[in-house]
Amino acid sequence: MSTLMTNRMLLPARDTRALLVKWIVALLVPVAVFTFVWSGEEIVNAVISPGTAGPNLPTDPVSLIQSAIFIALFYLAVIVLAGYLVAADSGRRGMLSLWLDVLIFALLPLFLVMNIGLIIGLAACVVIWAVYFFARNFVRKARHYTPPLALPSLGLLDAEQRAILMGRAIAGGFWFATAFAIVWLIADLVYFFTGSLPPQLLIWVVIRTLLLPVAGYFLGRLAGVLALRRTLSAHANGNGNGGDATNESTRRISKRQQLQVLSATRVREEAKDLVPNDLPLRSSGAQRFYLILLVAFVLFYPILDPFLFGFGTDGRLASFGDAGRYVILALGLNIVVGFAGLLDLGYVAFFAIGCYVWGMIGSTQLTNVLNVAPIDPHILSWLFWPMLLGAALVAAFFGVILGAPTLRLRGDYLAIVTLGFGEIVPIVLLELDKYTNGTNGIVGVQSPAFFGIDWSIITPAPYYYLILALIALSIFANIRLRDSRLGRAWIAIREDEIAAASSGVNLVNTKLFAFGAGAFFSGVAGAYYAAKLGGASPDNFSFNDSVIYLAMVVIGGIGSIPGVIVGALVVYSINELILAQLDTLASDPTNFMFFVRSAIVHVIPGFTFGNIRNLLFGIVLVVIMIFRPEGLIPSARRRRELRASTEEAPEMGSLDVMPGTPGFETEVRVE
Amino acid sequence: MSVKPVELAGEPAEPVSGALLELSGVTKYFGGLAAVQDVDLVIKPKEIVSVIGPNGAGKTTVFNLITGIYRPTSGDVRLDGRSLLGLNPDQVVKRGITRTFQNIRLFNNMTVMENVLVGQHTQLKANLFGLLFHTPAVVHEEADARQRAVELLSFFGPELVARQEEYVVNLSYAEKRRVEIARALGAKPALLLLDEPTAGMNEVETLEAVKYVRRLRDELNLTILLIEHKLAVTMGISDRIAVLDYGRKIAEGLPEEVRSNEKVIEAYLGKSATATASQNEASTSDQKAIE
Repeated sequence: MSTLMTNRMLLPARDTRALLVKWIVALLVPVAVFTFVWSGEEIVNAVISPGTAGPNLPTDPVSLIQSAIFIALFYLAVIVLAGYLVAADSGRRGMLSLWLDVLIFALLPLFLVMNIGLIIGLAACVVIWAVYFFARNFVRKARHYTPPLALPSLGLLDAEQRAILMGRAIAGGFWFATAFAIVWLIADLVYFFTGSLPPQLLIWVVIRTLLLPVAGYFLGRLAGVLALRRTLSAHANGNGNGGDATNESTRRISKRQQLQVLSATRVREEAKDLVPNDLPLRSSGAQRFYLILLVAFVLFYPILDPFLFGFGTDGRLASFGDAGRYVILALGLNIVVGFAGLLDLGYVAFFAIGCYVWGMIGSTQLTNVLNVAPIDPHILSWLFWPMLLGAALVAAFFGVILGAPTLRLRGDYLAIVTLGFGEIVPIVLLELDKYTNGTNGIVGVQSPAFFGIDWSIITPAPYYYLILALIALSIFANIRLRDSRLGRAWIAIREDEIAAASSGVNLVNTKLFAFGAGAFFSGVAGAYYAAKLGGASPDNFSFNDSVIYLAMVVIGGIGSIPGVIVGALVVYSINELILAQLDTLASDPTNFMFFVRSAIVHVIPGFTFGNIRNLLFGIVLVVIMIFRPEGLIPSARRRRELRASTEEAPEMGSLDVMPGTPGFETEVRVE
Repeated sequence: MSVKPVELAGEPAEPVSGALLELSGVTKYFGGLAAVQDVDLVIKPKEIVSVIGPNGAGKTTVFNLITGIYRPTSGDVRLDGRSLLGLNPDQVVKRGITRTFQNIRLFNNMTVMENVLVGQHTQLKANLFGLLFHTPAVVHEEADARQRAVELLSFFGPELVARQEEYVVNLSYAEKRRVEIARALGAKPALLLLDEPTAGMNEVETLEAVKYVRRLRDELNLTILLIEHKLAVTMGISDRIAVLDYGRKIAEGLPEEVRSNEKVIEAYLGKSATATASQNEASTSDQKAIE
């Protein structure tokens, strides 16, 4: 089997050294920038020695513990990642192109976010990345460069080669941690001699410098274990010719054959998961680390917020809490539109229903209407938790009610009916003023209650964690539904109703369940919204909102769970953060946007960005859809579909005949 | 009495009339046009029955009437003596009839495995709570379903098993037909309806298809009703043949009887054709019916 391996795999020490240099530089630079230029050092110092931290940093013990956990998690994950990448790399990709990528995709965002704010910075990154991709393709075309196919590095590893991988992983972890410790030591010594480092921190500096390499060694081992789990292993090597070995080799060959009969793209996809690898940064092993880092960041964000943006109104926590409800809405709509393929233009109706359910119950509205004594607000607050489920169930019930008349319809007709429902619900809420307080809406809606937590409006953290928990539950439910017999039935209906029905899928129940499940999540988001806003008003639920939700799903990637989450955040950021902020930014004379606006005002007097906000939003959406028709993170299904649609001729079937000819009848009817 | 699932179908079934499927006086009008008129058909357990006829003769309409996609204007369809009238397609599947389509209707954006799993939809019992929280019963059921899907695919040899995680759109035409049959088998049918299982296949693939249609009957104890254009195929595998023309059944009987039936020859070749010419015609391999 080892003949399959190129000599490159059996790396001599020199190659390992090259790999080490490659990855240590690639990872160390962004980590160092985070630590020394941005907030990392500040956070560490705040934890180690609270007295020496900067003026606007939290000093309470809970915040410090949280920061400590975050920072430890961050560095440990990066060290393991370093070991993993050194082990997982096949070594075929050049250092310079890797460093260029790290520069563009890690350093650039760091600098931009530091200097011009998180959202605007990331938006600028997206533009630069697009330009970079375009330029890279241009250069590659000009040089007739095609990226090498990943298959050649798909080797089978025997025990010896696995040991080499393990060695490389340990070396990676150890040397990365050592290099980082030395850089940090030097930096701290410089700080010390320039007087900006208090002497009591020197003990910590010594401990850290000794501790990091040791931790690096063990974390490297861990990285090796993780990498080896993703190898294509050959348990029996050349000299083992027993029955076991032949059995083993047939299995392996079938795997190889399997890969080879697949298309080139699919091979690359498969190869992405195996170690060694040409694109280790994109392997699923590495992606797991990004996920860990992302979860850690999101989880500890409230404590990091002041480090990143400052206190009070400068903080972004509240607006991220708002963005969360869009994520839930997009996840819910994704079930209806993405999985079951039922176009729903009235999704806002269920959000409104969820909102009013908690609005009515969580305020004095319902008790006034019923003419009974109001419930004690302290008890009422606690009712939020059962009513969160209650609101979701009521919304789901209405989802099924809406679903029932639309079952015979599809495509455009379905969209019109749902559109009607979306218009009816807010009007009903408006006109039932005896119960819903009409145009004035409901005020004084209770916020939730939980042991020892202050839910007032100036502390956005509880709402942030609440929405985070709700999002986590929604994602969990979405994934479980998608991978179940129900999810398969939804996708089957989306693909071909007649074939689905002929495979035993009950179209009525399955579609109604999709409407119900979609509306359920909408109801959850609605109840959360009413509680956070402290009220409910019929103005909040317009057709525009339904369209925005749909845009989130489509832009993110129809049917893709990570896609719609990103889609929701992107659309929210563009619409509510970037475009809404342009005028504020332009009024600051030090900002770049100030000059942009002054230039335009010369031509068009009285110009503000607010006037063209919707125009800009529309343009952004159009541009995204032109360049990523399948969405930002498409599901594999959808990607394949769009790629293949140009190759497949449309099929005429016995059930797709023209009206008027024999055999014409409405397609599967459901009664 | 209920339809026996595949595994149990080997035991003697005891339908009232000795028939598994019984069509009596089935008529279907589309507007003023009679697509199917007064068709009677009886299929006994473990039979392979073919429906042939020129294009537009109403063969696929008969399939759609049996499987509940269309409802007959008049007449009755009975499975094991129980009427299928008024049932939706999924209820017909539950009663034990599954089908394939003339123009393959696989779920193109699903993998081979997922397609076959959808076919087992009626066999899976997971409820909402179970599938959300992965109760042991659901985990077990899902694992069994996958195992069963592999078994169904391996009925057609190891190639499909190896490609189970592929999107079906990447498969060859013949492989797609096999996946479609595997999907139809997932519901443990007693009666399998195959709509032109060899359409668009070359000679080798057609022979393969003939072989596995026989094996479906012999090894899985299935009863098979098929529509077929290639006369050689039909003659080779059918126990009985029914001929449709302009929505009416013009002949039914053993292959040899049908082959020499004058009405059939007329329907296929027009009035001027002689009986001898048609016999030659029918024996030519892979001869397609006049379009």
